[in-house]
Amino acid sequence: MDRRVLGLVITLGAWSLGAIYLLPFIWMIGTSFKPIGEWGLPTLLPENPTGQNYLEILVTGGVYGVRGHFPPILRYLLNSVVVSVTVAILTSLLGAFTAYGILRYRAGGTFFANWILSLRMIPPVVILYPLVVLTKTIGLYNTLGGLIFVYPVITLPIVTWFMIGAFKSVPRETEEAAMLDGCTPFQVFMKIALPQASIGLATSAIFAFLFSWSEFLIPLLLAPSESAMPLTAFAGYFSNQYGILWGPLSAAAVIISLPVIVIAIMIQKYLIRGLTLGFIR
Amino acid sequence: MGSRGSGLLFIAPATVYLVALVIYPTVYLYYMIFHSLNPLFDVTPRFVGLQNIFTLLQDPDASYAILAMLLLTGITVPVQLALGSLLALLFTSPHLRGRLLLRSIMLIPLSIPAVIVGLNWKMIFFTYGPLNTFLSSVGLEPQPWLSAPFGHPFNTFFVLAVLDVWQWTPFVALAVAAGIESIPPYIQEAAALDGATRLQMIRHIVFPLSKTVIIIVLLFRLIDSLKIFDIIYMLTFGGPGNITTTLPFYIYKVGFTLTAAKADIGYASLLAVILLLIATFLVMFVLTRVLNVRRVVWE
Repeated sequence: MDRRVLGLVITLGAWSLGAIYLLPFIWMIGTSFKPIGEWGLPTLLPENPTGQNYLEILVTGGVYGVRGHFPPILRYLLNSVVVSVTVAILTSLLGAFTAYGILRYRAGGTFFANWILSLRMIPPVVILYPLVVLTKTIGLYNTLGGLIFVYPVITLPIVTWFMIGAFKSVPRETEEAAMLDGCTPFQVFMKIALPQASIGLATSAIFAFLFSWSEFLIPLLLAPSESAMPLTAFAGYFSNQYGILWGPLSAAAVIISLPVIVIAIMIQKYLIRGLTLGFIR
Repeated sequence: MGSRGSGLLFIAPATVYLVALVIYPTVYLYYMIFHSLNPLFDVTPRFVGLQNIFTLLQDPDASYAILAMLLLTGITVPVQLALGSLLALLFTSPHLRGRLLLRSIMLIPLSIPAVIVGLNWKMIFFTYGPLNTFLSSVGLEPQPWLSAPFGHPFNTFFVLAVLDVWQWTPFVALAVAAGIESIPPYIQEAAALDGATRLQMIRHIVFPLSKTVIIIVLLFRLIDSLKIFDIIYMLTFGGPGNITTTLPFYIYKVGFTLTAAKADIGYASLLAVILLLIATFLVMFVLTRVLNVRRVVWE
């Protein structure tokens, strides 16, 4: 009896905490389906559900008299996808390459490993202006290429450290055997080590994707116009520019969040490991 | 195994890349410290010697921004660690039903982009938004959450702090829970056979063995806490006045918005260097004192 009460208290307590996390998000999803009159209401679900917000934000753009019109976000969504996918592929490969050198050859020693780790620490705002100058100098300012060029400053340290952890669980013996059979170090890496760490590689690519997808400050200043601005930066800009258009804004927010949440739940097992760069497994 | 040369080949591409992306900007930053560049009037940086340093010494906004950043970190990180650890105990309790689903829900605040978290709460906190409508419907006083909640503008700072605690406590909880679960079960089973109570086990087994995990979590919270930007941009834009203008946001204001009183990229660079020094000091302190990188990587 006593145990059952305890179990009930714990479950109820934990789930009411869960509600604090779920409710704002459900409200946001609900608002994205609400017609204009219901936007500010605390109701979780719309009374007269409508797809209008999604239609406007994705395809037609919107016209709201005094507040002017806002553009459809398809272009920004595309920018986000292109940048995040490219960065994910590039940094996971480059990170794996680097991690392998650090782990198997101790290349650069503790200093190099530490240095890579310390990059995780730099607040982006610190190096933002020099990066603006740099991208302007090489002609990548306000282009998708510019973002792809710059994002690894965020993702590469994460991926490298994550891959150090992934390669650690790859047995050395097969690599040494391949070495004796006359494979070059690069062949060993490509044919033996990398395939065995493929789950780690996929996971680190997903992390690079998530971090690129969420990046806000860098694209806000490095890609200020439609041709390169990703969806996150647009959401911030939009909310300042067009004020309280909660319906379409919520729809945009849902479009940005849903893929991320689906991925996060899918890789749940690795999420904490990734966020702590493999320190906590 | 292998030669030293091939090892260097493995790290060469990333090194070259990061030198371009990090070393060059850092060097440029130090160059800019001694220059002035107002994007409205100047085309190229003007050499001004130590003027930026004098500006910094006489700029109450800058000292406020540094204090605000440290205060925000000082409030939120310990609270997150405490609440998160308690929550981790809850998560790992054998009595909890629906643990997997609950954990999935807890992933929401730490996986969706901070901008969206900010946007979501901006809508909720809006003067005529759902929170105030709800409060008035149950007979409570609606509050101007983002300008002067409970009668004083400074309370906005605490709204932000509470929000940060809300957002990052699940991260601490999930990480510590992962740490607790990696404790071999036989240790607790043996203790249970010796008649240890659950509280005794938490105090003498779970807590000591989770120490490293908690320190790692502290490190990451510290790092990210000194970076907080997106939420401030979305919710308050540093306001009301400069109450929520922490150092990263002040750098943004000075360097990238033309409306700031001291808008100057040279001065912003000096502030950026200060931020970098503070972050380096705090993180290195945790790193060298408690985390042994050599051990983590190679042993």
